[in-house]
Amino acid sequence: MNFALSEEQEFFKKTIADTVDRMIVPKAQEIDEKDEFPWDLWRDFTGLGYIGLRYPEEIGGMNADKVMCMTFYEEIARGSVGFAQSVIMNILMGTYFIFRFGSEAIKERCLYPAMKGEKVSTMCFTEDQSGSDLGATRTTAVKDGDGWRINGTKMWITNGPICDFCTVLATTDPSKGLKGLNFFLVEKGTPGFSSGQVLNKLGCRGTVTGELVFDNVWVPQENFLGEELGKGVYYVGDILDEVRLMTGAMALGIARGAYAEALEFAKKRVAFGQPIGNFQLIREKFAEMDTLMNAARLMIYYGAWLLENGMDSRILAAEAKMFATEACLKVVDELTRIYGANAFAYEYSPQRYFRDARFLLYGGGTHEVLRDFIGRTLIGKL
Amino acid sequence: MNIIVFIKQVADTEARIIIKNDQKSLEIENKYNMNFFDEFAVEEAIKTKEKFKDSQITACTYGPKKAIEALRTAIAMGADRAFLIDNTGLETDDSLIVAKILSAFAQKEGFDLILCGRQAIDDENANVGAMVAEMLGIPHASAVIGFEVMDGKAIKIDNEVEGGKETVEVQLPALFTTQKGLNTPRVPLITGVMKAMKAVIPTVDPTTLGLTKEDIDLSASGIEIISLESPQQRPPVKIINGETPEEKVRNLVRALKEEARVL
Repeated sequence: MNFALSEEQEFFKKTIADTVDRMIVPKAQEIDEKDEFPWDLWRDFTGLGYIGLRYPEEIGGMNADKVMCMTFYEEIARGSVGFAQSVIMNILMGTYFIFRFGSEAIKERCLYPAMKGEKVSTMCFTEDQSGSDLGATRTTAVKDGDGWRINGTKMWITNGPICDFCTVLATTDPSKGLKGLNFFLVEKGTPGFSSGQVLNKLGCRGTVTGELVFDNVWVPQENFLGEELGKGVYYVGDILDEVRLMTGAMALGIARGAYAEALEFAKKRVAFGQPIGNFQLIREKFAEMDTLMNAARLMIYYGAWLLENGMDSRILAAEAKMFATEACLKVVDELTRIYGANAFAYEYSPQRYFRDARFLLYGGGTHEVLRDFIGRTLIGKL
Repeated sequence: MNIIVFIKQVADTEARIIIKNDQKSLEIENKYNMNFFDEFAVEEAIKTKEKFKDSQITACTYGPKKAIEALRTAIAMGADRAFLIDNTGLETDDSLIVAKILSAFAQKEGFDLILCGRQAIDDENANVGAMVAEMLGIPHASAVIGFEVMDGKAIKIDNEVEGGKETVEVQLPALFTTQKGLNTPRVPLITGVMKAMKAVIPTVDPTTLGLTKEDIDLSASGIEIISLESPQQRPPVKIINGETPEEKVRNLVRALKEEARVL
């Protein structure tokens, strides 16, 4: 069993970590404080080409393997979770269905510019009353001539208010529940398509999240993203494991950033005449944090390896997401305890990690849903 | 223009470093980077190539096998090719021997311009660049903070001197050591990273550069490390207390007299 990264993977890891340290880490606090989309950083960072990480070299991508992808997600989240969310949306969820099903004309208009950061993408699942319960989706798509007419609203859409195009999940037949769900491309400027409320979030600030409104939006047949009707949820399965592992990798990145802050503080902070890192109960916290992070790392990267090698990663991806995000919550909590009262002040970073970590509980499936999924899959149909 | 950039892989500034029991060698956590000052050299080489498009940039290091990673970083930034001169079993601390090896490489490869960082952040000797220039019989300027290629035959540089800056025009071929402030080293594009990941970086045996093993092995060294010591630990901070500023001053003076004994 070889746990070592290949030379290529090591080099990639080192390079992206260094890039994040130089470009993103110095701006993380400001991004959080201002809670404005950092357009300058977006242009500079996307100009490096990493948005094409997962896509083939023939179209300007890197064709990175899943281990490299997880490494990327981990490092960029370590830098700034708010910024990371927007970048990763362009890398994965916001562009995947365009890549998979879009015509060449659609790819020219949407995918290729998004890969250069020239356009911002998003994916629209969640509605006011349907998050985990996709079957309760109310956004409809009705055949209208040689196209589709879409009506509904989506909420909690990362990049939504600033997106240039989005992949919308809509039902073409509510009576069929999950089997009536399909994906459609909607582009900015299409009549009836607008953004609504922008959310004021507890964490992951800097990324713009909000409501998208589809008011009698007509799109041509070409904008139907799929091979046949009714397979929308089935297609989601193509990337669901990666999305879950990605969420776990982001959690690990946040945890590592928090851990580094805790370590530096424990070495410098003096109480009772010595650095607090000398106290047994502080040391215990580091033992706990490191154990949790190592366990999360093994699960995430094992899951990435399974996925890369075409093996069944469904259960492990769900478990890794669950474990890593819960581990991250524990690590950021310990960071705030190590910092003491200073953690309660906005001027210090622990509060930012503490707030940011919370959001990862929801993306990729709440843990209540994941536990049921894992248990059901393990036990099988009775 | 044929440009050579000499780089060094050094321990990361946050790597754990422990002096071993023999007091003469170090145990270093496996975190290494390209030397900070060498980044400016690589960047300046790339900027020169952007101006003189038919230039070739060769990055080279004298180091262990893992130093290939630093060479990959140079390629990711924009160097065209790279070579590792393998130092396994050979002298590594004596700047004169390192310079001998690097100048032999440059002599064999041919060059118009050589760039390297003003010093390595591990030993901070700042010797090798100037030594290489002397061995090659070419002019050099150190701590360069301004660099303008005039016409492919001369370079106008600004370099730091005590109390100011001097501007000099230097005829090529020449060697320059680069200082912080010269430029902002670029972050590699993904295309550069991909190129670097796939790059084949040859390993050069230094004895193929016209040097004998006796010239460059441990017995050839003119220096010997007697011992290594950790820097003194800074004492913990003491907060001077007092109800009023006057009382704090009195307490401070007492501490300086009786505890620190500097008054």
